Parts: sequence; structure tokens; C-alpha cells
Amino acid sequence: MKLLGEGAEAKIYSLNIFNTDLIAKVRIKKEYRIEQIDSELRESRTRKEAKVLHTLAKFGVNAPRLVALGKYTLYTSKLEGKLLKDIELEAKEFVKMGEQLALMHNANISHGDFTPANIMKCGKEYFIIDFGLSEISNSQEEKAIDLLLIKRSIDSKRYAGLLKGYAKSSKNSKEILERLEEIEKRGRYQVRTLG
Amino acid sequence: MKVLGIESSAHTFGVGIVEDGKVIANEKMMFKVTNKGMIPGKVAETHVKNAAKVVSLALKSAGVRIGEIDGVGYTRGPGLGPCLQVGEMTAKTIANKLGVKIAQVNHGAAHAEISRELAGMKDPLILYVSGGNSQILKLSKSPFSHYAILGETFDIGVGNMMDTFAREVGLNPAWGSTVAKVGESGKYIKLPYTVKGMDFAFTGLLTNSIKRAKSEKIEDLCYSIQETAFSMLCEATERAIFLTNSTELCVCGGVAQSKRLRQMLGEIAKSHAMKFGYAADSFNADNGAMIAFVAERMLGKGLGSKIGECGIEQRYRIDRAVIV
Repeated sequence: MKLLGEGAEAKIYSLNIFNTDLIAKVRIKKEYRIEQIDSELRESRTRKEAKVLHTLAKFGVNAPRLVALGKYTLYTSKLEGKLLKDIELEAKEFVKMGEQLALMHNANISHGDFTPANIMKCGKEYFIIDFGLSEISNSQEEKAIDLLLIKRSIDSKRYAGLLKGYAKSSKNSKEILERLEEIEKRGRYQVRTLG
Repeated sequence: MKVLGIESSAHTFGVGIVEDGKVIANEKMMFKVTNKGMIPGKVAETHVKNAAKVVSLALKSAGVRIGEIDGVGYTRGPGLGPCLQVGEMTAKTIANKLGVKIAQVNHGAAHAEISRELAGMKDPLILYVSGGNSQILKLSKSPFSHYAILGETFDIGVGNMMDTFAREVGLNPAWGSTVAKVGESGKYIKLPYTVKGMDFAFTGLLTNSIKRAKSEKIEDLCYSIQETAFSMLCEATERAIFLTNSTELCVCGGVAQSKRLRQMLGEIAKSHAMKFGYAADSFNADNGAMIAFVAERMLGKGLGSKIGECGIEQRYRIDRAVIV
């Protein structure tokens, strides 16, 4: 196994089994927390992410395909492509990305970290990756936050392209966009607790 | 320059004196916390009684006459309204008598700044944890020099959460260190764990723990609530380390006095080959010295106010305070 990268939660490896390239996402042990919390979090999050990938495949969303599941390890198909954060794309190319986001939301899955670091261009298609912070729920709030995150990370022209595709494929884009407007007005960090 | 700082945002009335960046006095008197919580008006009454005494104590321990003070600072916020007002009034009174300028200091920024100084760090990632606050901070230059909030609690501060739990299950004194002590002999039971990226929430953990106090052993709950809450803070902090590529980690605020939390953060720092540090306990508990420390810097940069320009702000967010 070759180490490709490391995040706060997991290490990402590439491996080859029976001439097939795979990715292994291993949730690593954290020495700072007690064993019970550590294993419970790693195991339940691995299982949840597997469930998300399974659901995405069922709904035809472009995402890595789940191949196998270990206690703390996800094995998925390996995508060949470039991350959005590393390439320049025109606004019209974002339409397809919006469609993928809508398909994911139609499956009642929110990503939790929908930024150019987690979108990959593979050929002419766009794939969403890393579902470590995703949630399975029909919460419009969570879906609107996905839009908010991507809105903050791309310029307005490209975002408009993304929205075009989103509105086309989403089952309830009107409500979600209204919720987004409300969140922005709310100003997430305006009023909080006392000192 | 000799600057006197006053802190009164919660149960502590503290007065500190700083001379050219060195703390030469740090005195305080506290409202006695039992198991009944704090009624802001009552705490403020205690502060009024103590104010003059603590100022005299600080002057005496620094060996300084009041006439030698070149400037005054106080906590503008965040905090409990009536308590903040006592500090503001005390600062105005002294400034009026001496004819000096006043610095209006942000409480959280003062914790962060004195800890950064005493831990000997330049640009650390800071976990600020106290009764009312739980935030992950990093200095940012734009649009002005301030502490950017990378992550924070969605609801209540971690200290407040532990205090409330202690009060509800009848521990006395009702605060975090009692929970830690009772929990020493406890075993782990699973409790709600809520982290969203670099943010976290504590009310689910709190209400579930209180509810289960009827059926579970109290020492098990104490152990588990602390382990769960601190693990949440640590996970969010570690994510912020990856985001910022920080090489220094600092913890500050009242909860930074917890040995267990320090141990956990130390473990994280070690695994990332980071420097880890914190200030002595007397600077992590609320204190006047940290206010004086920041006030001296502000006054030195001409950021002082006249008496008529002073005020309090119960929800004065740290990311609005200019850091000099």
C-alpha cells in the first residue's frame, strides 16, 4: 500500500488487488482519547460513510464506488482525474457539477465539506469525493450549507453556472435556496454565547 | 508605562498591574460559587463591595502609588452585564482621578494574548476554553489584525456545560474540577458526541447526562462527560491544525487549568511535532493582569478612550477586537 495523503481523521492509501487499482481510507487511532471513544467513533464513521457511498451508487451519483468494508477501513474504486482546486474551469462547466450536487441531495445526503478540494474532474465527468463529514438526512439546512460552502469558494459567475445545473436536477431547489438565503442573513457567527 | 487592568466579566473581580509588559501585581476576590449558579445582580453586588479593596491590594503588592499609574484598562465584554458595569465604573473612577486614558479590552483576546506571551509563542493555534466560551483561534492580518474564529461551540461553552451538569446532579462546589475529581474512579459510558468540522455542540451531551443521572453511577457520568467533551474539543482542534499547518499549539481560559485536557492536547501536539504551551493557572482563571497586559499595548498604540467613550458589550465577539 502506498500512502497518498493524510487528513485529520484518516490516512489514504492506494493499492492494487487482482490488477484493480483501489483506494483504502483508514481511520487512524488517536492516542489522545480513551480506547472506547476512539474505536466507537472510527467504527461508526466508517460504517456511516460506507452507507453513504452505497446510497450514492443507488441514486447514480458520481462518487467512488464502495468495494469492501473493514472495521476501520473503506476500500473504494480509484478515480483518475484532477481536483477542482488544482484546475481552472469555465463557468459553463460548473453546470454539470450542480447536477451532481442536486442528485446527491435528492438522495438525502449532504456532504458537509463541499469545496473544490473534494470535487474531481475525471474525463468529462465530475465526481464528488471524501464523505467523511457527510450526513444522511433530508435536512434542508445541511443541504443549504453545502451550497454556502461552494458559493464561498468559487466566484459568482461559476456559482451561477453551478446553480443552473442544480435547479435543473434538484427535486426541491426552491426551498433549499430560500434556506440558504436565510442562513446568510442569519450570519452564522453573529450572535452566540456570553463570556 | 504602568497600567492597571480590571476584570469583572463573571464571578471574579481582578485587578492587575503591568509595567512594560511585565506583570507586577495580580490580585482578585471571587463571588463564592456554591451549587446555586450565579445571579448576575448578586455577583455584581459582591464586586461593588470588593472593588476598592482589590485595587488597593494590587497597588500594595506592586509597591506602586495610585498616582504613578499611567493608564487604565477594563473588560468591555463579553460577560454578564451588571458585572461588567462594575469594572467599567471602577476604571472610569480611577481614570477620572488621574486624568489618564482608558483601554476597552476584549476578555477572550486578553486570555489569548497573555497566554501567547507567557507560553513564548509567535503565531499559535489557540484553543480558548472557559465557562462561556469555547473557540479555536488563530491570528489573522486581514482586514485588520485580529483573532479569527476557525471553530467554536454552536451553543454553550464547555465550562458552563460541566458546571451545569455538576449543579443538576448536586455536586458542590458545582464546577468542572469537581466533576473531574468525582470522575477519577468512573468507568466509560457512551454519551452524545457532536462535532461538525471544526465546530462542536454541548447541549446534547449535557441534557443526556442529566437525564441518565437517575439510572447511572454518578462517577461514571462524571468520567464520561469529561472524556467526551474533551475528545470533541481535541478532534476539532486537530482538524484546525491540518487546515492551518500551525507549528505551535496553545490552550487558554478557565478550562485550560484541567490537567486531563492539557495531557490530551499535549499528545496531539507531540504527534504533529508541534510546540505546546499554556500560561500558569492564575492567568487562565479570570484575572486583571491579562487586561492590564493588553491595555498597555493598546494605550501604547494610541487606542485609548476618553471616559465618555467607554461602555460595555455583553456579546463583544473576539473577532471584532483589534490586536496590537
